[in-house]
Amino acid sequence: MDDVARDIESGLVRPRRIETEWIMIADHRRARLIEAMAEADLDMLLVYGNAWQVDYLRYATDFGILEGQALALVRNDGHITLYLDSPLEVDRAELDCSGVDVIYAPDLIAEVDHALDRLRTHRIGTAPQRLLPRRIAGRAKALNLSDQTSLVDRLLMGKMESEITAIRRAAKVADEGYRVFKNAARPGRADYELIAEVEAFFRANGVDDNFQIIGVGGVEVRGMTPPGGKRLKRGDLVTTELTPCVDGYYAQICRTLVIGEPIAEQRAAHALYREAMEAGIAAVRDGVIAADIARAENDVFRKHGLGEYTTSEYTRVRGHGMGLFADSKPHLLENVTTRIDVGMALIVHPNTYHPAVGYLVIGDAVIVTKDGCEVLTGVPRELFSVPG
Amino acid sequence: MKWNPRELPVEVLDARIARLRAEMKRARLDAFIVYTNNVRPCAVAHLTGFTPYWNEGLLLVPASGRLVFATALSNRVVDWIRSINPVSEVTSTPRPGKFLGEWLAKDTVKQAGVLEFDAMPSELASDLAIAAPAIQWIDGSATFAAIRRGIDAAEQRMLERADAITIAALDEVNVTAISDAGALAGLVEKQARLSGAEEAYIAVSPDLVSDRRFNRISKPIALAERFAVRASVAYKGSWVRRTRTFAKDDSVRRADIWLEDVVRKIEAGKFFAGQLAACVDALPDAKLANWMVESCSGSYPLSVVASSRSSEGKAPIDGSFYVLTVEFLLDGGPWIGSTPLIIGKPAL
Repeated sequence: MDDVARDIESGLVRPRRIETEWIMIADHRRARLIEAMAEADLDMLLVYGNAWQVDYLRYATDFGILEGQALALVRNDGHITLYLDSPLEVDRAELDCSGVDVIYAPDLIAEVDHALDRLRTHRIGTAPQRLLPRRIAGRAKALNLSDQTSLVDRLLMGKMESEITAIRRAAKVADEGYRVFKNAARPGRADYELIAEVEAFFRANGVDDNFQIIGVGGVEVRGMTPPGGKRLKRGDLVTTELTPCVDGYYAQICRTLVIGEPIAEQRAAHALYREAMEAGIAAVRDGVIAADIARAENDVFRKHGLGEYTTSEYTRVRGHGMGLFADSKPHLLENVTTRIDVGMALIVHPNTYHPAVGYLVIGDAVIVTKDGCEVLTGVPRELFSVPG
Repeated sequence: MKWNPRELPVEVLDARIARLRAEMKRARLDAFIVYTNNVRPCAVAHLTGFTPYWNEGLLLVPASGRLVFATALSNRVVDWIRSINPVSEVTSTPRPGKFLGEWLAKDTVKQAGVLEFDAMPSELASDLAIAAPAIQWIDGSATFAAIRRGIDAAEQRMLERADAITIAALDEVNVTAISDAGALAGLVEKQARLSGAEEAYIAVSPDLVSDRRFNRISKPIALAERFAVRASVAYKGSWVRRTRTFAKDDSVRRADIWLEDVVRKIEAGKFFAGQLAACVDALPDAKLANWMVESCSGSYPLSVVASSRSSEGKAPIDGSFYVLTVEFLLDGGPWIGSTPLIIGKPAL
């Protein structure tokens, strides 16, 4: 365990050192981005962001936007202008983003459109293209804009060592968060009470943001969602994925517990899912493609006659990337041919519906290495049982 | 997030949809499209009760008949969406724009309004246009804003619930017992979520004297003698914001009372700036530093409609919901407060 992680764990945080590390990661990212822009012969890059899709924006500006929307113009000399349509977010960005010009733009799209109008002679890339506001994207030719989503995707997927260190920290906190969740799970408690406990723990322990969904029940549960007030009762499967964000970096863990003693069907189902996850993790290495990992997981389901439950009818993805967004590229699906490279951060999770017991999850975060992967999350891969 | 038909009866949603259809007819729109994601959820939530926790979707309001909600959320949660959204057909599709465009192309739609058309994600807009090339797409933001003038009783009850949650969460702050901004944020958020908030953004200004800006804090930053907490809380798609200043001296309490009194006096039709200026005299030795009024008229939970930063601004509308934020410099130090209000009603 490195010094930084030890400090966080003990509560004896030395803010100055951690903030220095944080600023260095942001500076390193910016340098990489400028270099990539130079290779692509770009004068500027326009990135879009909101609280749902924050990664492209955060990569460039280090701003974790919460409310409203943002557009940032990155110049090839490293100067960045961040336009925000919320005055509250302007205050936050001024505090969080050193070296970035922050502008309050109540009519965000019109103001950035106008700014781009004065830059028509520049070669300007955009990312992510599909979320770029229609008014600006519709003038791509006039404004000399080109889709450079893949340029930023490569940077987002290929992590620097400092980013991997940050993700390791987030994974450790994910483990701790799951322990809080498990300890909070008792019959009679509402699902949102468990989330409340986890969020309180995270806010007090360096986690700015957390994406978490939950499932409670049996065969009627087909997926995880935000809490809906369901009360836990004996026999329920309680599934969750929690995804804490530490200094901008998300790591995820997925686990299932049972209220009371698991029945044989629940144990058998969990064993299958664990086998599938471990097959997927065993397939992870430099040089494979995303489809290989998904196929390794799904083959276990097929072997047990449950291939139907690996389809889009019952599941979304068999894992995905992690980093500055809770659900990054690459998606682990059998039709995704993205090459898996050393330094990528992934979650491998064969989460899906099981006809005998309902929705079940298990997932571990990993970092890709030359010959395999480093597993980051440490919570045992058990089907947990809490007193019922 | 579960739909409660007693809290939000289908009849209420039907009435809101009917209001939109009346405005569509006035604007000669044959259909209306509304975008949603968890940053811009409130327009679809107003019409259907549904807020996405992830991904995005498009809601189609035809001139008549059932609404259609096309979402990139996965198929496995479609039943859950249907359980919360009682007024739409629901389809999971990776290309909601293509799906709805093809749907509309089969109909006799000539002009379709789109809420906040400039801001629509380009892929969705492109898919709509390609799938329905004969349709003229028009920005429908003014059409939608017309139905958000004034709130109905169901929305008022949701806002009251959200506000009660927020007040109770802020009441947890004990200035003598807590000294760490991160732990404080966690405490307030926990209370809000235990009370049923579906979302809670807690921001802190840990030392109001040296910096009046708020940030989300999750580290053990020390709280000074005077600090402030801003709680932005959602209850089933209805958002409120409250800011409270905490200090040991008496000037905070006087300003709190002033704000609660002012919101009762805000009148429809007169600009906020003038009304606030007229009320400042009631707080001796106070210098008004900044103010801001937010409301929900489109897809954003709260967006600025008037502020001290801008000479323009909208005058309050009777029966409409706002959040007023005021910043004073008092003898004892800065004070910032935010409170929700409904024009023409004594209290939320």
